[in-house]
Amino acid sequence: MRSRKRVPRAAASTGTARAGGRAPATGTVERPWMDVRDLWSEALAGVLARPTRSALTTLGTVLGITTLVITIGVSSTAGNQIVGRFDALTATSVTVGVSSADPAGPGPLVDWSGVDAVRRLAGVESVAAIAASQETAGVEVRADDVAAPGEVSGQTMAVVAASPTLPAAVRGGMTTGRFLDDGDIARHDRVAVLGDQAARLLGISSVENAPAVFLKGQAYTVIGILGGVEREQQLATAVILPPTTAADRMGLGTVTRVLINTALGAAGQVARQAPIALAPGAEASLTVTAPADPAEARKGVQGDVNGLFLVLGLVSLVVGAIGIANVTLVTVIERIGEIGLRRALGASRRQVAGQFLVESTTIGLLGGVVGAALGVVVVVIVSAVKEWTPVLDVRLALGAPVAGALVGLLAGLYPSLRASRMEPVDALRS
Amino acid sequence: MSGPPFSVVPDADTVIQLIAVDRTFDSEPPVHALREVNLTVRRGEHLSIVGPSGSGKSTLLNTLGLLDRPTSGTYWLDGVETNALGDLERTSLRGSRIGFVFQSFHLLPYRTVEENVMLAETYRRPRPGRGRAGRRARAEQALRRVGLAHRAGFRPDRLSGGERQRVAIARALMSEPALLLCDEPTGNLDSENTESVLDLFGRLGEQGMTLVVITHEEAVSGRAHRRVRISDGRLTEEHR
Ligand SMILES: Nc1ncnc2c1ncn2[C@@H]1O[C@H](COP(=O)(O)OP(=O)(O)OP(=O)(O)O)[C@@H](O)[C@H]1O
Ligand SMILES: [Mg+2]
Repeated sequence: MRSRKRVPRAAASTGTARAGGRAPATGTVERPWMDVRDLWSEALAGVLARPTRSALTTLGTVLGITTLVITIGVSSTAGNQIVGRFDALTATSVTVGVSSADPAGPGPLVDWSGVDAVRRLAGVESVAAIAASQETAGVEVRADDVAAPGEVSGQTMAVVAASPTLPAAVRGGMTTGRFLDDGDIARHDRVAVLGDQAARLLGISSVENAPAVFLKGQAYTVIGILGGVEREQQLATAVILPPTTAADRMGLGTVTRVLINTALGAAGQVARQAPIALAPGAEASLTVTAPADPAEARKGVQGDVNGLFLVLGLVSLVVGAIGIANVTLVTVIERIGEIGLRRALGASRRQVAGQFLVESTTIGLLGGVVGAALGVVVVVIVSAVKEWTPVLDVRLALGAPVAGALVGLLAGLYPSLRASRMEPVDALRS
Repeated sequence: MSGPPFSVVPDADTVIQLIAVDRTFDSEPPVHALREVNLTVRRGEHLSIVGPSGSGKSTLLNTLGLLDRPTSGTYWLDGVETNALGDLERTSLRGSRIGFVFQSFHLLPYRTVEENVMLAETYRRPRPGRGRAGRRARAEQALRRVGLAHRAGFRPDRLSGGERQRVAIARALMSEPALLLCDEPTGNLDSENTESVLDLFGRLGEQGMTLVVITHEEAVSGRAHRRVRISDGRLTEEHR
């Protein structure tokens, strides 16, 4: 397109002296050339020449793109609400309950070391066992051994036993001191960790001076305070002892609950495998609490919304494309004289086709932009009404205008071909 | 008479050279619209072509304007042998060497007068010193040449017929053509507007513009230096 070309001379000219003095430009013919800015401004002027018509022409595309954006936007928003409900905490929490009535006879149903078997399962991120009982649910706890006269006697708190991995399993952390460790357990130490609210009730805020709490008249050294508990929030008001110590002195020997945190999406599988790992052969007597499969739930919602409206949106787009094609064709026929003039001014067939193609693409793009904006507004309104957080994918917001432009481009193909095929003589006669 | 039929490469002063040009339309029955036409137009000449309706005037002008190809014969335009050219080169040559003035003006109704004139430079690579930035100024200058600088921002539909035709002429001048081809330029104008356009042609002729004007009006052809008559597809020189 851009190269200058030496035009071949007619055979008759060979061997004949050429008259001198010709300007160097003569005899050389350049190819038609057009600045893209001119192509754009000519096309834009063409679109703006009949603003009402152009606006009406975009309607089909606007409708189609709006429908698609609403469909995809609302369904992903709704889907996100389900994921939101099964948020990171819920969707990854599995709890195994051990029934206190033990039909299997002697020996605990779930051993403290069962935790290690669960830890080895794929998808498990943290796990801890807890022992609690009716009898230890309301134990009197004092911060000092002798009640001063007139002083309110001790607080009533739950006493539980837990494995050393408990802080991670309840997604909490030590606000001060440390948690129970294997040494405490092995030595049957009389140590205790307080939940942060329990500590506040007992007036203990620091473990530097090794404060003690008294349970049933026996002293336990407080070695740490557990705070920020997200699971098993009742632990905030509990006194936590090493399992061995608790078994010796409180009768808290058997595991009653196992708390498991899994990787996102692994909850279902872990929920199936954990009972087997904990109590091989007796897994049926364990109760497993696991979240419903969020993927399934989301699929269900999207399936409801998408099917019909997606088809509706696509049909509207096709109708929009036909509309643009129709109007562009009418425009081409109305502007035959203009096409002839442009050819007379040196426009090539390709440049004429290019202009009409850019015009129809612009109309499609316009429809896409308006449709995307309308669709986003509707998604936001629907979300507001349903009290959802709207989820607006950037790719959707940017892709919608592109889709509109594509519709316009396809719709313009045939009309611009017609325009470019016109013979300039015929076009000028009109 | 025009140049001899057997002459070859025309000299630099020859803008148009037709040698034995025939044009037959393959209609039913076939129409022999141009027969053995020989014509030479030199730079700066003001030529008028007259003839009755259906005699082949427009066919001749379309051939000269590279809008139509002769069935046989040779056409040299401004030193280029056009028969051998492809569609693209003919288009480009048409855009760069020929300014058209049509009976029906062919102005774009939705663009201003100035934008209509600027259109002449849209489809070609900018000449040295004639960049895109200076296009508006050149359009203004072309409008000044036809005495319409004060109408630059108007839409064509608010102009008189004569003014419209002068805008079309400004557009043709904008591309600095080697040749101005006019097909019945005053066909849609009343006598007053015709006068203004003819005066303009007169001035352009004096400035050295090569003009070929098709007309069947005496008043129009009277202004030309030279007149050829076409009847039934045959061209004859008229001597005055
Ligand atoms: N595309 C075509 N197909 C067939 N015949 C044609 C075609 N174009 C022109 N003709 C015929 O060629 C002859 C010359 O036509 P042309 O248009 O050149 O006449 P003209 O001298 O310009 O007439 P007018 O003064 O009425 O414009 C006419 O008989 C016309 O019918
Ligand atoms: Mg005619």
